Amino acid sequence: MKRIAPFILTIALLAPSLAGAAPSKKVKPALAPIPLEEPAETAPPNDLFEPINRVTFAVNDGIDIVLVNPLVALWNGLMPSFVRTGVGNFFNNLDDVYVGVNHLLQGNGSRAGVDFERVAVNSTVGIGGLIDVGAKMGLQKVDGDFGQTLGVWGIPTGPYVILPLIGPSTVRETAGRSVRVMTDPRTYLDAVPSYSLMGLEYLQTRADAKANEGLIAASSLDRYVFIRNLYLQKRSLMVKSGQTQH
Amino acid sequence: MMSLVERAARIGALLSLLLGALISTSAYADAPAPDELVRKLAAEMTSAVRSDPELQNPGSLKISDFVQKNIVPRFEFERITQIAMGRNWAKANPAEQKQIVTEFGKLLTRTYSNAISTLKDLDVEVKSTRVMTPNADVTVKTQMIGRPQPVSIDYSLINGPAGWKVYDVTVEGISLVAAYRDEFAGLVSQSGISGLIDALKKKNGG
Repeated sequence: MKRIAPFILTIALLAPSLAGAAPSKKVKPALAPIPLEEPAETAPPNDLFEPINRVTFAVNDGIDIVLVNPLVALWNGLMPSFVRTGVGNFFNNLDDVYVGVNHLLQGNGSRAGVDFERVAVNSTVGIGGLIDVGAKMGLQKVDGDFGQTLGVWGIPTGPYVILPLIGPSTVRETAGRSVRVMTDPRTYLDAVPSYSLMGLEYLQTRADAKANEGLIAASSLDRYVFIRNLYLQKRSLMVKSGQTQH
Repeated sequence: MMSLVERAARIGALLSLLLGALISTSAYADAPAPDELVRKLAAEMTSAVRSDPELQNPGSLKISDFVQKNIVPRFEFERITQIAMGRNWAKANPAEQKQIVTEFGKLLTRTYSNAISTLKDLDVEVKSTRVMTPNADVTVKTQMIGRPQPVSIDYSLINGPAGWKVYDVTVEGISLVAAYRDEFAGLVSQSGISGLIDALKKKNGG
């Protein structure tokens, strides 16, 4: 994976120092001296389990067609949009507690402060989390989870994994997810409320995603690879931002 | 997990935004700075969509017309393809390179055109500009507002004989062009450059 000319690296490293320079309107070179190869060229993804993953991916697609899509259609059809937004906000509010804890674990106290402020505002003024009042006050929700925390602590992702029903993950993110499930109070409710709440959250998440899933299908040549790339880009970005925001 | 999906959704929104931002600048003889360009184009784009119900109707012929005339010229598809192909670019002969650029451009245009209809409810704010190479390579950072959560969309532009053109769009930190790298690399290693061309053509229905 060599191939990055040293001078490109130098340019990449110098770039932030150039950021202050405003581009002049007058001078316009015939052609920009842009190197063809991008410094950001990445190593091939770690997909040790690709054969199994592709099978699980296909099974998940099948479950989507026979089960999830009809349920999502039913949910969207039965519930007016304000109810669906409320349900989404409700689960986001629960998630914010967990996000805040993780930002603390990452040593990012100021971001954790915003997360907990959101929970405080949304749980009270926002009627138990149904309305995202925090966002209207300029406190935007951000992502955060234990897989990210592990990454910030320096633990590598390990191979890419497709989880049944859930979809893209990695070994590290799966570990983070298990910690999430174990520490989720809902896990310790009686079976019926526990599964109902988790099922509802799953349904709402999938309903939110449907429009985009269509776009991904339309724009990709190999959907499995395309989704893997988007997922891994996103996870790596989350860890990087977690590492720099101290 | 849910955010991957959100992210994907944003790609749609971002594309539309991106497309929105990229109206033809051929009218500007005195080429403006790229951030000015993005700001002006975004404003023109959103107002065009708002004032024309046909542009709000996904799948209408008018949209593809509009995109061909106003947006496609603002994209540097050759560079987009080079980045997506990485090392494999050099393995293709000039005729193949040209074919790949054409087919990939078609795929991107066709897929994301309909997203412009969503601009009706959205606005674009230019936040800042990062200069990689003065006067040649810049990234204009924007935010798309009008949804519960603002979406950050960055447009990377290079300056050339035809003015500034977009060569990558990054939505919430995820590069759309880089998203194609693994796919392209996989296809080339399985079935060569011709396999990639066939896959693109097939996807485009040809």
